[in-house]
Amino acid sequence: MIHEERVILMTGLQVYEDGDGKRDIAISNYFRGDYLGMQMLKSVIYVTIAAGLFFAGYVFYNLEEFLNNIYQTNWLEYAQTLLTRYLVLVLAYTLITYLVYACRYAKAKKNLKKYYGGLKALNAMYHEES
Amino acid sequence: MTQLLLAKETLKTFVGRYEVYLKPFGKFLLALLALIMINSSTGYMERLNNISVVLVVALMGSFLPLNFIILCAAGFVILHLYALSMECALVALILFLILALVYFRFAPKDAVIVLILPMCFYLKIPYVIPICAGLLAAPVSAVSVACGVIVYYMVSYVSGNVSGLSALEAEDMAGRFRYVVDGFLKNKTMIVVMAAFALTVIIVYLIRRLSIDHSWTIAIVAGTIAQMVVLLLGALLMDAEVSTIGIILGSLVSAGIAKVVEFVMFQMDYSRTENVQFEDDEYYYYVKAVPKVVLSKPEKTVKKINAQRKKKKSR
Repeated sequence: MIHEERVILMTGLQVYEDGDGKRDIAISNYFRGDYLGMQMLKSVIYVTIAAGLFFAGYVFYNLEEFLNNIYQTNWLEYAQTLLTRYLVLVLAYTLITYLVYACRYAKAKKNLKKYYGGLKALNAMYHEES
Repeated sequence: MTQLLLAKETLKTFVGRYEVYLKPFGKFLLALLALIMINSSTGYMERLNNISVVLVVALMGSFLPLNFIILCAAGFVILHLYALSMECALVALILFLILALVYFRFAPKDAVIVLILPMCFYLKIPYVIPICAGLLAAPVSAVSVACGVIVYYMVSYVSGNVSGLSALEAEDMAGRFRYVVDGFLKNKTMIVVMAAFALTVIIVYLIRRLSIDHSWTIAIVAGTIAQMVVLLLGALLMDAEVSTIGIILGSLVSAGIAKVVEFVMFQMDYSRTENVQFEDDEYYYYVKAVPKVVLSKPEKTVKKINAQRKKKKSR
């Protein structure tokens, strides 16, 4: 016989599993440190590509100036300035990544705790019935 | 008011029942409108400026995730600009890639704002987007709105300066690149609009989160006024070109649209119909969970004031 309460609970659990649950379960497969480390590494890669694109655009924009001053420019100093700016950018971006993904990890864990609670209740219903 | 709430409930029931069809149809319509607008404003590549291509892409977009439409729209813009000049396409490509890599990695759902905002610019009601973003999203959407403004002004600048661009020598690639970048990045109007829109998102968000009566309505009114004031003041201070009547009329229409959005979305009981499948040891379950209709239609009672005449029996 179909147990009405059980179906309601199962439906709720399945809705979560099909929606946010997919992402939350994927997140919970990692330890917090691993998850944050992975996201921060991804961020470094993305921001490096974006900075590279921006720099390429900047060089193309100032191409004439670059070509005119090619012998007068102190390239070592220029590279140092560039590197410092890049590092500041990467640091700031990684910090934002850390904060955003730490929040997401905590939220996913909280949601999953609720979900596992539901699963436990479902299990108890089956035991009761049998 | 009860009639309106009843209409809302009817709408909810209708959406709940036909969501399976309405969602792809909505996506199809969005893709179709976006691509038609892109083609009409920057239709430089003849192969893409073809309704059958647009229809095929829009049909694909109706079944694929929303990000596919955004990707296709970006692709259309880049290809059209490429047909005009490679430098324009390069600027667009760099801009889109930086946006995708740096910002939309955190908020992929917000990317739709970058698609809808330029569309609203063409419909002369861009002011509705910051208000709706403040009502429905987080304050970080201010960044998405600013990105949408940049994309619109970039495309609009290129399509408005085709003659200036073609006057430059084809060999001077760096010059043409500089012409495009200067043209839209040094656009004072764009800076004023970006600041006004970002501020509006934050103001609307902060007010609608307050625990006061009618916070959503107050947020819409305050957001509209703040937006108008910042736009007009900013234009005055920075000597930017804006249409005062356009801002006032557009803002008023936008406030009206935002009010409709509030009416549809405000009550948090809105939830979608869910179709789920699961199984246990005994059964397979195919469940369709439909959100409950809260209001029930009042029964009509007809009160008779005059004594009714008895019908004469026909002989």
